[in-house]
Amino acid sequence: MSGTIQDTSVEAIRTWLVGRIAFYLQRSAEEIDADAPLVEIGLDSVYAMTLSGDVEERFDLEVEPTMAWDHPTVNALAGYLHGLLGSRG
Amino acid sequence: MTVDTAPVPGTAPALGSEPDLEAYLGDPHDPANPVGYPAVLAADERGELLAEGERALDGYGLNAEFVPRALGGRFDRADRLAQVLRAVFRRDTTLGVGYGVTTFIAATPVWTSGTAEQRRWMADLLLRHGKASAGYNELAHGTDFGRAALQARLDGDHFVVTGRKEMVGNLSRADAVTLFARTDDRLGSRSHSHLLLDMAALPAAHRRHLRRYHTAGVRGVLLGGLEFTDCPVPADAVVGDLGSAMETVLRAFQVTRGVLPGMAVGIVDTQLRTVLRFALDRRLYGMPVAELPHARATLVDGFLDLLISDCLATVVARALHVLPEQTSVYSAAVKYLVPKLLQEAAHRLSVVLGARSYLRDGPYAIFQKNLRDLLAATLTHASAAVCQATIIPQLPRLAQQGWRSSPPPPPALFRLADPLPPLDFAGLGLSARGMDSLTATLREYLAGPGNDPAVARLCGLFTAELDRLAEVCAELPPRDRTVIAGRRSFDLTDRYATVLAAAACLGVWWHNQDDPFLRDTPWLLAALSRLAGRLGLDPGAAPDGLERHLFIELLERHEENRGFDLVNRHLAG
Repeated sequence: MSGTIQDTSVEAIRTWLVGRIAFYLQRSAEEIDADAPLVEIGLDSVYAMTLSGDVEERFDLEVEPTMAWDHPTVNALAGYLHGLLGSRG
Repeated sequence: MTVDTAPVPGTAPALGSEPDLEAYLGDPHDPANPVGYPAVLAADERGELLAEGERALDGYGLNAEFVPRALGGRFDRADRLAQVLRAVFRRDTTLGVGYGVTTFIAATPVWTSGTAEQRRWMADLLLRHGKASAGYNELAHGTDFGRAALQARLDGDHFVVTGRKEMVGNLSRADAVTLFARTDDRLGSRSHSHLLLDMAALPAAHRRHLRRYHTAGVRGVLLGGLEFTDCPVPADAVVGDLGSAMETVLRAFQVTRGVLPGMAVGIVDTQLRTVLRFALDRRLYGMPVAELPHARATLVDGFLDLLISDCLATVVARALHVLPEQTSVYSAAVKYLVPKLLQEAAHRLSVVLGARSYLRDGPYAIFQKNLRDLLAATLTHASAAVCQATIIPQLPRLAQQGWRSSPPPPPALFRLADPLPPLDFAGLGLSARGMDSLTATLREYLAGPGNDPAVARLCGLFTAELDRLAEVCAELPPRDRTVIAGRRSFDLTDRYATVLAAAACLGVWWHNQDDPFLRDTPWLLAALSRLAGRLGLDPGAAPDGLERHLFIELLERHEENRGFDLVNRHLAG
């Protein structure tokens, strides 16, 4: 899962995040509301920290383990990560 | 606040040098010692915290051990803190918990996230022998902190606090309370804040003390509750940013959980000494009990369990300084495994003591008290299950990389006499990011030149175990990666913690070759074999005379009145 990814558009990041969250919650990607607070769709603080680990491995990027506490929806996270990856050049 | 400087037992600390708590507390068997076993047992029977003991600890200034040196205290090393507190736990776990640990847990979040003023205030309070209480527990939510309900609503220049905390040590007599409060109604991990309460300044009409909770162990500890009703608290009482309490807890509790198990080693030091004394005095079948093969094996196993526990406890405490980015896993592992090992050891030792293991009076009565107190020491500040649940979410990432490719730790992790860098509370990582340098020690030793074949063979058992764990943990189904995981994940953390203990033993042996006992290979072989057996692995036949060798060491330490731990120091009495 490590290494860089070709597409760092918001859309690609969002799709990948939805896939991870669907995996953790054992639901289909269609069921994940990108604007719903993660904690309300069942992603508790522990999953949220695990997600930070996934991000680090996927994008070869160091993020705070609390990233998803401060950007608590899929769309908020996608925007935040896009900002970080875009500025990486 | 009570500031009592009444005359105290033992010798007064010498001016200009570090006081020695063990010597200061004196001979525990001396009936005239106000903090000896007879007094400790009598207080336990009354369900009281030993008042003379509290005075003695005030006289020594125990609270200073919890206050960072920069703030005028004596705290600069987590491993030393555990070793100093062992002197208290050797005598009275109730005092250790009721006087010491409670205050330590309450103060640590303030060192971690408090302002300079808050740290100064807490330090001054502790240095005046004040009591601080850790206001976390609500019976309805326990360690599910995210659902803690006690609410603090910001209203202009103050909070309005409503709700209750229950089963909290020293709450009824605390000068300060570190209160974990909900400051946002939303779900999530940014919805709680710590408020640092100056109890003397709170209006009495808005708070009410709840009844005392009575316990089977540490019976003198004052567990109480507090109910707040629209209680005003100044806005500047918030510790760190509003909503940051969860993050603070994840750092601060690494320190407290990383240090407590090392204190509890003192309890089993006393258990082993008590049973050994009995086994040498009592004759059965024409010989001392200690010469009966089963009894002797049990005593040696108890000694090994104590050494293993101290290796892991000491190494994790040092890791807080040396590997702070990795201790989120280690501190949970040590708080899980060490109390469990100590409890199992005490139960096995009770078999040698026989009926005397539950006699509440007579020369061995401290044993039954410690047996009950050990359970409380295990449950205090995160049960085994809570610690395991802390490790589980990190297992997949450890499995994917850390167990194969982490760099070995600096030797200072193990070199007991080496100085340690200051503990940087803010530098403690919330996640180990898949790194595990402690177990990398096993591979480092195996890869090195000129290793001892017997040591290497045993180390190989643990690296193979780690490989098996990696296979399973990398493929854990999503549900089994969380706190609601099934039994299998919990079992995996037990196996992993056992491998960590093996790595700690190896490192302590390998990097302390200037210590006449620690460099001795037999104890390591026996410790690793014992841990391998715990995993159901076959350590092979023990070398001839190994048990006898360790038994002689145990007897020597007993005769010379030295501790059974890594410190191996002379004890009072």
